[in-house]
Amino acid sequence: MVSGSALSAAAKQAEQLRKDGNIYFKKDRFGAAIDAYTEAITLCPNVPVYWTNRALCHRRRNDWLKVEEDCRRAIQLDYSSVKAHYMLGLALLQKQELDEGVKELQKALDLGRGANPKGYMVDEIWQELAKAKYMLWEHASSKRSWELQSLKEACETALREKHFLDDSQPEGFLDEAGISHMKQLEVLRQVFRKAGEADIPCEVPDYLCCKITLDIFCDPVITPSGVTYERAVILDHLQKVGKFDPITREPLDQSQLVPNLAIKEAVQAYLDKHGWAYKLD
Amino acid sequence: AHCTLGLALLQKQELDEGVNELQKALDLGRGVNPKGYMIDEIWQELAKAKYLQWEHASSKRSWELHSLKYVIPVRSFSDEAIISHMKQLEVLSLVFKEAGEADIPGEVHDYLCCKITLDILRDPVITPSGVTYERTVILQHLQKVGKFDPVTREPLDHSQLVPNLAIKEAVQAYLDGHGWAYNTN
Repeated sequence: MVSGSALSAAAKQAEQLRKDGNIYFKKDRFGAAIDAYTEAITLCPNVPVYWTNRALCHRRRNDWLKVEEDCRRAIQLDYSSVKAHYMLGLALLQKQELDEGVKELQKALDLGRGANPKGYMVDEIWQELAKAKYMLWEHASSKRSWELQSLKEACETALREKHFLDDSQPEGFLDEAGISHMKQLEVLRQVFRKAGEADIPCEVPDYLCCKITLDIFCDPVITPSGVTYERAVILDHLQKVGKFDPITREPLDQSQLVPNLAIKEAVQAYLDKHGWAYKLD
Repeated sequence: AHCTLGLALLQKQELDEGVNELQKALDLGRGVNPKGYMIDEIWQELAKAKYLQWEHASSKRSWELHSLKYVIPVRSFSDEAIISHMKQLEVLSLVFKEAGEADIPGEVHDYLCCKITLDILRDPVITPSGVTYERTVILQHLQKVGKFDPVTREPLDHSQLVPNLAIKEAVQAYLDGHGWAYNTN
């Protein structure tokens, strides 16, 4: 049974090691940093930050297996660790475990936004999440396109064969549907076009995009004039350009910005259906 | 005047012209007095007319789809087709479903509906809590029930209501693609 003072001595030492590790990390001396964190972990294995700090080093060295190990341990100790979920997500993506990776990144984003919506991490996590979701969409969409294409060709062939048979009937009467053969092929083409529509990149509707950047919204806010902007962008404008609504020019203070929850939901629904829109240029 | 002309044209089954006149009447009326009694009436007539337009176009589309779907002789699919026969039928069924989707009445997305009445929004306004309601409905609530946001219960005055222009655009885009949603029952 370790005495109270021995415990706090170990904790103090571990903290010093962590500080050392941080200094090594800042100087890009990842091996030394890892050693320092490892010692800290040996002394106090239940401090989540030591594990995530070490994971950060592994990440810089592209040692993804170790990133995964350390992150999982950190999560066991602290389920709300943004960094742990974030790096675990990245590690899983490296292993091509796209679905799991996306789940972890989403968890990191939700936790990060809850803690500090304007933190630098939130932006980074969102970028990675968007990339991953785009990859997921690309996979699924290629498969769908290919299935649709082969099915369409099979249907066209079947229709043509049927038309050929019909046309060789003695009286040359129209089939029961009553619409001409050409029209049928046209409708068939329309049907397949419609079925594949959601997967074809086009323009994201105006009302889902920021009026300043023209990018799809992440965190839309509405001004008293009724115009909706991307939160970070309008805040930047108010700080650097002036305290007025960019479009209506009416006076505007940041305290007047209201989250446009309905539009936020609309954006999510659109992305769920049109995965190509995750591609950020 | 536009309203009367619009209704007359509808009587004559000149749907497209009738709808144009009613829309003009609505825009003019809203410009003068958004809460006037006529606005509601004009909107009702316009919605009915737009629903009729959709019904016409959609019946034609459904019939074309339906007849095509059963004309394709399924057993003609060649064996060389890489995906299995059953899977092909499944995908084919999905394809036709997707093609007809916009024409099948379903549930309008939550974010396009008033949080109180659950009807599709016509003149959406947003409160400082970020919740969006139908303007007339929230005004009535503030007058008859109390000066607070029905969902968040935070204090709310009618001067704080802001028109949610983006959602208004979203609703219009939805109606353009899903005419059945004009049915206001």
